[in-house]
Amino acid sequence: MTANERTSMHGASTPGTFGAVTHHGRLARIGAIATLGALAAGCANDAPQDTWQPAGDNAQKIHDLQWPVFLIAGVVGVAVFSVLFYALWRYRDTGQPIPKQTHGKPALEIGLTILPALILIGVAIPTVGTLMALADTDDTDCVINVTGQQWWWEIDYPVQDGCGGISQPIVTSGQMVIEVGTNVIVRGTSRDVIHSWWIPKLNGKRDMVPGRVHTNRLQADEPGIYAGQCTEFCGLSHANMRMEVIAMEHDDFEAWKANQIEAYAAPEPESLAAEGEATFISQCARCHQVDGLETADGELQIARPDLNVYSGAAPNLTNLMTRNTFAGASYDLLNETCRPLVWEAPSDRVGERYNEGVTADCLNEVELREWLRNAPAKKPMYTDPTKLEETNSLPRGMPYLALSEDQIDQLIAYLLERK
Amino acid sequence: MAIIERPVDVPVAPTPTATTNFGYLRRPVETTGWRSWAFTVDHKKIGIMYGVAAMFFFLVGGVEAFLIRLQLASADGTVLSADKYNQMFTMHATTMVFLFVMPMAAAFANYFIPLQVGARDVAFPRLNALSLWVFIFGGVFLNTSWFLGGAADGGWFMYAPNSSVPFSPSNGVDFWALGLQITGIASLVGAINLIVTVLNMRAPGMSMMRMPIFTWMAFVVQMLLLFAIPVITVALFLLMFQRSYGATFFSVEAGADPLLWQHLFWIFGHPEVYILVLPSFGIISEVLPVFSRKPLFGYPFVVFSGAAIGFVGWGVWAHHMFASGLGPVSVAVFSVATMAIAVPTGVKIINWTLTIWGGKLWFTTAMLFSVGLIVQFTIGGLSGVTHAVAPSDTQQTDTYYIVAHFHYVIFGGAVLGLFAGFYYWWPKVFGKMLSETWGKWNFWLMIIGMNMTFGPMHILGLQGQPRRMYTWTDYRAGEGFFNGAFWNMFATIGTAVLTVGILCFLINVWITHRPGSATPVAPEDPWDARSLEWMSTSPPKPHNYDRTPIVHDLDEFFHRKYEDIGEGEEHNYVRRATGAEVIAEEERNADAHIHLPAPSYWPIVLAAALPIMAYGVIYNTLLIVAGAGVAVMAMFGWALEPADADPSDFDPPPTDPATGTELANV
Repeated sequence: MTANERTSMHGASTPGTFGAVTHHGRLARIGAIATLGALAAGCANDAPQDTWQPAGDNAQKIHDLQWPVFLIAGVVGVAVFSVLFYALWRYRDTGQPIPKQTHGKPALEIGLTILPALILIGVAIPTVGTLMALADTDDTDCVINVTGQQWWWEIDYPVQDGCGGISQPIVTSGQMVIEVGTNVIVRGTSRDVIHSWWIPKLNGKRDMVPGRVHTNRLQADEPGIYAGQCTEFCGLSHANMRMEVIAMEHDDFEAWKANQIEAYAAPEPESLAAEGEATFISQCARCHQVDGLETADGELQIARPDLNVYSGAAPNLTNLMTRNTFAGASYDLLNETCRPLVWEAPSDRVGERYNEGVTADCLNEVELREWLRNAPAKKPMYTDPTKLEETNSLPRGMPYLALSEDQIDQLIAYLLERK
Repeated sequence: MAIIERPVDVPVAPTPTATTNFGYLRRPVETTGWRSWAFTVDHKKIGIMYGVAAMFFFLVGGVEAFLIRLQLASADGTVLSADKYNQMFTMHATTMVFLFVMPMAAAFANYFIPLQVGARDVAFPRLNALSLWVFIFGGVFLNTSWFLGGAADGGWFMYAPNSSVPFSPSNGVDFWALGLQITGIASLVGAINLIVTVLNMRAPGMSMMRMPIFTWMAFVVQMLLLFAIPVITVALFLLMFQRSYGATFFSVEAGADPLLWQHLFWIFGHPEVYILVLPSFGIISEVLPVFSRKPLFGYPFVVFSGAAIGFVGWGVWAHHMFASGLGPVSVAVFSVATMAIAVPTGVKIINWTLTIWGGKLWFTTAMLFSVGLIVQFTIGGLSGVTHAVAPSDTQQTDTYYIVAHFHYVIFGGAVLGLFAGFYYWWPKVFGKMLSETWGKWNFWLMIIGMNMTFGPMHILGLQGQPRRMYTWTDYRAGEGFFNGAFWNMFATIGTAVLTVGILCFLINVWITHRPGSATPVAPEDPWDARSLEWMSTSPPKPHNYDRTPIVHDLDEFFHRKYEDIGEGEEHNYVRRATGAEVIAEEERNADAHIHLPAPSYWPIVLAAALPIMAYGVIYNTLLIVAGAGVAVMAMFGWALEPADADPSDFDPPPTDPATGTELANV
């Protein structure tokens, strides 16, 4: 009911912002009058995960279905409460005689049974229609795989003609980049427990279940950063398992893809970053893959998270600084000065700003340092070596690595070049 | 069960003098002290103990809830660690569902079903005592996990494979799985007992369609329990073997499908929702007519809609799984079925409203709680319809919108109904009235508190705040004054109001019953009530009715007090007798022979064996053997104990052996 008013509020105050919402404005306003007006003010502007601000075709389909249902529910509620409260006032004890001992009126009862049944049939028919439309996969333009793991999402783009052509696999984590207007099918599964993929402004959620592959349609009307969150309880750090979808224009998306598959650029010899590369190989590379990274003797460095982490994978860091969150999208890679430049960029600048990546000036060094210093102290994870007997001594999450401050300096210099 | 006959006038009361307490094949005789409670088979004492234990767990669950809200009051809360928070919300739900609402409903069912059907006790009194003690020991067992390495942390739904040992390495989930198996036994035994009681022990003249409505609803609940508890028991057995004995029912790497658990859990879990609310529907269907001075409107519709909910409730479980990936056809079927179940629920709300319509309303605390239930449950029901629409549900499920919804249903439905029952039946059970002044504070603070707590959760959920998160971040709370941060704080303040409201109830009980309390003895019929249980004294005698009532009408007690002097279709009721006069009349015509079961040692002993075995599953197989030994001993003791206490246990020994036994049963 409250959200009805929000619809009307947005419809009235920011026309055009929410696309198809506005042409329902008048009906929604009637709903707002019918429900409790006082609650209209009770809603935040622009909550990033607002389920009543669809920004794509799929979420819009859901929204077109849900607001009339909320309206009907509001009207029924008001009707029931009007009758009830009228009766409570009208028949309060004012000394009237003992009332007639009526046991019921079957005709009235049957009528009042059929009425809600008819309303619900009216709701059921469009429900089934929308369900089927949201399950359609015939119009897919782009396939992206997501894999849930405690407590982050791996996102990979398989080689395909879709997505404007993917010539070699792209593996990233936490943030999914898509092109505006294309119909994306997310194919999802999990490596450990059940997770749930949910980008509220683009579509409803879909559980990603180990041993099964589930799909979720995504499509964004406008460029922007669309926040989401794992919504199936997945253990200790469930609250810290987030994700974003970044929708950008065609040219920006092509630039992003090209950047993702660029060959590895080794750091300048004898720079701090070069020391960082060595530290990365000795400390990080057994779990974290950086594509193209070579060991000192010229061999490709292949990460083996399957031997080192219980659930079997760790985020690929090849292009870490092209993303702007880390550790399950829980923490910003951009500091507070730079974050709004990207997150609150005007729609036509989102792709461009995002593709600039994270520069040294913009890095959220405080939190990245905290993370490298002692990850499990920042984000709860199962990494205490004394408590891993049930997982073959393998941690779930990133363990404490006892890095020195010098090593952290080196790693940050090295990671800043990963874009 | 002992069947004893005795003359009602006992000339000399022999004193029970059990010289050989706890003799292997004796029956207890104490009429006072803790033994008279621990070994009782009286459904009323058992009902009271059910209620006290459930109230204790209500407070435990309430503390857990308060800690959850404190943690979420502001962003990045630090009251609880992630680990403790996960245990807290798991145990809050588990405690409130299995250790508060279910046993509190069992307390009412135990106490009032025999009274409402005009019976002396339940069909199997010793089994009844077994149910109680199994529940208590199971609940205590479950909560000992707090002190033994941490409670379960997988959520009350305990989805696989997150419940497996690698993902939940503490013993918490073991305690959870075993504890719920134990309390499940209590529910199952109780269900069979009450079903037989309702079907076989109704007073002469009480056809099914003359049964008081609470008994009807409680009967539907027992049928639901009878079929739902075995399903969860199977699931819990699989989980126990998965965790303790290396089975792979939920191991994905061994080819298991994690959705198996979800189906098993929700095939139990959805009927469970009706198990929680239908007793309260029954309670307010008793309270509303009394304080409207009118019969329940459309009694057969209320009965059949309750039964319909009992049937259709089995066909909607997958609406908890709309985001699980069932496929659109399954989702469509369950979506439509879920809408269908809204119809019989709506019928109930319509009938309650029409019961009030045209009445002469008396706004006692019990009446206020009943009206509160109608209002709050209607809100919960309407938000329920919004997520019966499966596509909308994929936006709402696992967010605070769902938390809001089911608290309106379970707190607004089940809990408010139970409180209506407390105020309505308190004088019946304890012979004293609770204070109406404190009662009204209790009511209003609870209503305001619950709306402040759960109302904002609608907004939080629709704005995308997921459930089961130990922390939330300002970045996702939105802009503006009324953002997520505001409503989270608001909800926490609401919890404080709610807590004060519940404290008012405890204070009310204390001032009514504290030593030296000025609260007078309640009149026999304080509410001018309508149904049969009020035709006994308050509190009822151990044998409930001096004369087995012969029932002529639905609302039998009303018709004994009021005479219809209207002609033809015109009804005109005039009072002919007070409730006290009707009861006195029954006493004057007391039955010559009264049958009562004797107390027994064995139910509590058998119940105690179960947690021993459960600790054994977790810690040491030898304990399982020890517990099983106790269980076998108790079963033999149970089977072989004599029907009556030994006459030598009385001083002087009664001349008629049956007399002494009868006294021992008091």
